Amino acid sequence: MSVAGNKRRLQTTQGFYRNYVKKFYDDAHRAKKEKKPVAWVASTFPIEMLQAMEVTPVWPENYASVCAARQVSLRLCEAAERAGFSKDLCSYARCVLGSIFEEKDLPEGGLPKPDFLVASTGACDTHFKWFQVASRRLNRPLFLLDIPYDTTGAQAPEDYQVKHYVTQLDELISFLEGQIGKQFDMNRLRTVERLSDRTSKLWMEIQDCRKAVPAPMNARDAFSTVFFMLCIPGSEISIKFYEKLRDELKERVKDGVGAIEDEKHRVIWDNLPMWFNLRFFNHLNSLGAVIVAETFSHVWAGDLNPSKPLESLAKKYLPNFANAVAERRINLILRLIREWRVDGVILPTNWGCRMMSIGMTLLKKVIRKELGVPSLILNIDSTDWRNYNEAHVKTEIEAFIEMLRRKG
Amino acid sequence: MEALDELRNLFSARHDIVRDWKRQGKHVVGWASTYTPEEILYAASILPMRILGSPETAKLAHAYCPDNMCSFCRSCFDVALKGDYDYLDGFVTSASCDNREKMYDLWRHHVEIPYFYFINTPHTNTNTAHEFFYDELVRFRESLEKAFRTPISDQSLRKAVRIYNENRVLLKKLYNLRRKDPPLISGREALETVLSSMLTPKEVHSRLLTQLLKEIPQRDDPPTKGVRLLISGSVMDDAGLLEIVEATGGSVVADDLSTGSRYFWNSVDPTAESPLFAIARRYLDRVPCPFMGQSEDRFRHVQDMVKRYDVEGVIIFVLRFCDPHLFDAPLLKAELESSGLPVLYLEWEHAMTGFAQLRTRIEAFLEMIRGVG
Ligand code: SF4
Ligand code: SF4
Repeated sequence: MSVAGNKRRLQTTQGFYRNYVKKFYDDAHRAKKEKKPVAWVASTFPIEMLQAMEVTPVWPENYASVCAARQVSLRLCEAAERAGFSKDLCSYARCVLGSIFEEKDLPEGGLPKPDFLVASTGACDTHFKWFQVASRRLNRPLFLLDIPYDTTGAQAPEDYQVKHYVTQLDELISFLEGQIGKQFDMNRLRTVERLSDRTSKLWMEIQDCRKAVPAPMNARDAFSTVFFMLCIPGSEISIKFYEKLRDELKERVKDGVGAIEDEKHRVIWDNLPMWFNLRFFNHLNSLGAVIVAETFSHVWAGDLNPSKPLESLAKKYLPNFANAVAERRINLILRLIREWRVDGVILPTNWGCRMMSIGMTLLKKVIRKELGVPSLILNIDSTDWRNYNEAHVKTEIEAFIEMLRRKG
Repeated sequence: MEALDELRNLFSARHDIVRDWKRQGKHVVGWASTYTPEEILYAASILPMRILGSPETAKLAHAYCPDNMCSFCRSCFDVALKGDYDYLDGFVTSASCDNREKMYDLWRHHVEIPYFYFINTPHTNTNTAHEFFYDELVRFRESLEKAFRTPISDQSLRKAVRIYNENRVLLKKLYNLRRKDPPLISGREALETVLSSMLTPKEVHSRLLTQLLKEIPQRDDPPTKGVRLLISGSVMDDAGLLEIVEATGGSVVADDLSTGSRYFWNSVDPTAESPLFAIARRYLDRVPCPFMGQSEDRFRHVQDMVKRYDVEGVIIFVLRFCDPHLFDAPLLKAELESSGLPVLYLEWEHAMTGFAQLRTRIEAFLEMIRGVG
């Protein structure tokens, strides 16, 4: 007999960490050993520019999530605190700075040391300050992409913003040429963009599959496989993987197979998960709830037009709810609710992140007003479990799902 | 000292004073970050007024704001929810930290103000940033002209620059009086004077400042001698902390605060052909707040002040959840300590109660300096 909420595991995502993430870090360490350029990258930075220069990008935020999953992030956060960095700062930042200050026993041998760092203000100001500290400490140069805040939440960025972005990409090209000692190859960028565009489209097809009732994929798989979108969008390996995943999901949709056996509630998860406790999603499943969309899965994709390589990067990366007035995020969530047939929204905050904490009350209010859908604000942290009270969070979740059930 | 009392009154009675000013049919626009080019507002015959919080607990804001955010921002919002800013014709903020950027949403949705504007301040002062910011100010000027139906001519901008620069120079003169030992003006008095400058029409403020500068050398109640301190931090819209420091035997003779020297240290080039261009340059090249890239410039400013004001110790007061400062503080502390200066690092929250622990640590710090000296 089947048990409600029983999970069915996808074939494609089995061994994901070992096969892809671990390999990614091994490759990066190898590149470093072979004296190939390695860069630290912050999210919302146009990684395609680095890929075009055959730089190996490593992503400190991803590394923080790896450290959290391996249950070592707290030790690293504390190392940063001992060096004077406040407990109230972003736990990603503390964790990664901690791995610089205290280098022993690091997962995957630590982040390979960068030849240079690149950051952008496109998600938060924390990125810039955090990378500045790292850049000083490691004595490696930092390139900053300074992204204007989106003050209207309009569909497309304004021309002057695109122009400003492109000017900075030109500066980035000079920076990269100076660092690496070879000329930037626009044609190579075009090739990378073609691959990246394909990766994005596949990722969105995967998201679209989750519109089906029952939904064929859960948050846990989404939060691990989004890895390609973030870290290596413009690569063959990403495309191959996503094609396989999409095919498996399509198959499931055709056969009416859901991620859990008895789907009762379809829920959105905003922002980040507790990387140190992804099992939490199993608990949700056992209550008959499945996460059908994460806002996090919907920010990274974007079309690229290789015939206008720089401009199209601007248009892909400028619209981003993290760096915009609340309307952009609200519109995204409202669209997800409608199209993914959602009946509840979970709005997790993040202790060290203002972007993910301020304004949640407003989101909750507008979502309720516009679509009558209830939200739950959950106070958590992505990486530092001292800011997470499991018993409390469980109680709140159970009450929320119970409320959905009664409403249903 | 009459002038000082009057300046203090401008600060404490600010809401009533502004309501009076409004009755004369004038506009008032609140600004939320010292990166707001007030000169442009002033040139449109608008009174630019700094949005400040209040020392009371932010009760109303509690329903909208999480615990893990800047308590200064929360307090400002609370004052608005209470209706104390009901006279505002506009609210202008700028990209200058994540807290403030996200609070823009709450202000727009929960506070009724006819005009909202967000200025995109770059985070560096490269040439590209300068070009962008100039254009951004052109857009701001156009927006104001439309909303308030007043043309903003270059001539009125030039006048605003002159008036603002005059005030900046006077505030610097006031700060000069702190070089004496003991200083001729206390840290608390200096802070309140700068705060009042952010709330008052600049000519009025400059007139009072001029009078104050005349009165001070004859004052019969000068501050007593104490350990000469520089206070570094983000914002301080209330003299409470400085009072504690000065009551425990410290003498605050210099600061690196956005409501202190960082507000007025740099002037606008009055000779530039385009006043708007000169204004844009001034704001990006000023002694930076830490959300800007050039932290070194701020650290240098602190070091210069340490020399100029014969500083014996530095207290870094960081407001909790103020990320840009929290990242800079360990670097600044290390830099100052390596030049042999004692540094005390303290985190605080706006309108906090129970200063006892802070007081104990400040006392111990001052003891330590005295012991060394
Ligand atoms: S968690 Fe928030 S503060 Fe930290 S890097 Fe991400 S967006 Fe920035
Ligand atoms: S104190 Fe810090 S966090 Fe608060 S508004 Fe100022 S810069 Fe932002």
